[in-house]
Amino acid sequence: MTRPTPKGIKAIADVAGVPVDAEVAARIANSIGPAFEGFAAVAGTLPFDLEPASFLVVQTAKVST
Amino acid sequence: MSAEPALLSLTEVAQAIAQKRFSSREVTKSCLDRIAQWQPRLNAFLAIEADEALAAADAADAALAKGSARGALHGVPLAHKDMYYDAGKIVTCGSKIRREFVATSTSTALQRLKDAGTIRLGSLQMVEFAYGPTGHNTHYGAVHNPWGLDHITGGSSSGSGSAVAARLTFAALGSDTGGSIRMPAHFCGVTGLKTTYGRISRAGAMPLSQSLDTVGPLARTAEDCALLLGLMAGADPKDPTATAEPVPDYMAATRESITGLTIGVPSAFYVDDLDPEVERILDETISVLKREGANIVQVELPDQRQLTAAAQLVVAVEASAFHKRWLIERPQDYGPQVLMRLQNGLAIPGVSYLEAMRWRGPALAAFLAAVAGVDAVIAPVAPVAAPTLAESDVGNSPDAESVIQRLTRFTRPINYLGLPSLAIPSGFTKNGLPVGMQLIGRSFDEAMLLRIGAAFQRATDFHERVPEPA
Repeated sequence: MTRPTPKGIKAIADVAGVPVDAEVAARIANSIGPAFEGFAAVAGTLPFDLEPASFLVVQTAKVST
Repeated sequence: MSAEPALLSLTEVAQAIAQKRFSSREVTKSCLDRIAQWQPRLNAFLAIEADEALAAADAADAALAKGSARGALHGVPLAHKDMYYDAGKIVTCGSKIRREFVATSTSTALQRLKDAGTIRLGSLQMVEFAYGPTGHNTHYGAVHNPWGLDHITGGSSSGSGSAVAARLTFAALGSDTGGSIRMPAHFCGVTGLKTTYGRISRAGAMPLSQSLDTVGPLARTAEDCALLLGLMAGADPKDPTATAEPVPDYMAATRESITGLTIGVPSAFYVDDLDPEVERILDETISVLKREGANIVQVELPDQRQLTAAAQLVVAVEASAFHKRWLIERPQDYGPQVLMRLQNGLAIPGVSYLEAMRWRGPALAAFLAAVAGVDAVIAPVAPVAAPTLAESDVGNSPDAESVIQRLTRFTRPINYLGLPSLAIPSGFTKNGLPVGMQLIGRSFDEAMLLRIGAAFQRATDFHERVPEPA
């Protein structure tokens, strides 16, 4: 998982329907880049059968123990 | 007991009114007098509704005289973060966009406090749309810290922290998506409870990030937080994420000893790169807990930096999605920093967001396994005491995100895991600024945190200290 580039951000923002100029795209890349780097060790490693709802399963399982 | 009613704790003043030692009018007037004195210095209130509050107080006194108290907080005046919908009232969410928005319904948390008999004093300041950790607000001005007017309150529940610290309200609702209750509690020297995700209904509370948002109180004591949590917690048909798990007797928990409990101190991350004064106060807090009978052990937690990163991805996307229509139609009406942060979410692919959401279960399981041998974990809320307003006024500069991430370093992982955390006043710096520590617990085990917090407050007086007007 690599940090997004200003060029890539400009494209994805266009697709989202909220276009941004080059300066804003560069600022976003600077702001959000560390989050991508911090999550890189996890990204692409999760098992196939894992759903977001597993969080609630773990959360409530601890209540009843 | 104090002769000035506003200086009492929430629990004390509720008893004083019930026992007719003070009337609701006397209590409300005492708060309004302090608000008049402090508001020009703090900017903690967005709206002050003195006449309405006094009329409601008179009605509460009349009802009590007839023997009909509404509930545990009959006649107690409170003010809350201006993001809780209150039917017929303007709810600005700290924004220009909602400057004239009139709520048509009342949030469940607020309604439950009203049902217990509370009176509305007005509404409290907050960071625009609850999206910022410092307490600055482009539209309504920064909120000031009563312990040092040049210093930040922390955010986003800036008015709540400032007003509770200055004794302008006995307690206040805040919200915590990345630290927004715990940071103002830490910087302003009050007690703040970030609840387990799902413990209190979010219905009628302004959303920021539906997966991480939590409702909770800021108050003077752990006992006050226990009282408020007991009133607000529980299932709500208007919010399917509000759990139906039983609501324990939190007040009873605050009366229990902590002898024999085991409290974990993280071996890394939460103890790294601390300001020396925060480090000293952490050590002193641990010593007090040990003296009170707790066993202190070291715990090795999973990599918390990954949790922080995952939380950033989730909040950025969900906040941008909530705001997308206004990002298209009214971008000029946001403050620069909030606009910048909302735009960040546009850059995150759907797959990355969902990976961050899918990892929450395993990440929570790993954390809970690491703390299996302890009753709670203690850690600083932030690595520093309150910075000055000037040095943290970073707007949308290139440094903004790093300043925000530094302040929220120790709070964001807990939001990602949905765990409860109680921030308690734990000491003061040599410059007289408060420092708080957070107790982190297992899902839905707020009772344990309140028990430890109350024991700590029986042994210390940091929560009783009152700032003086400069």
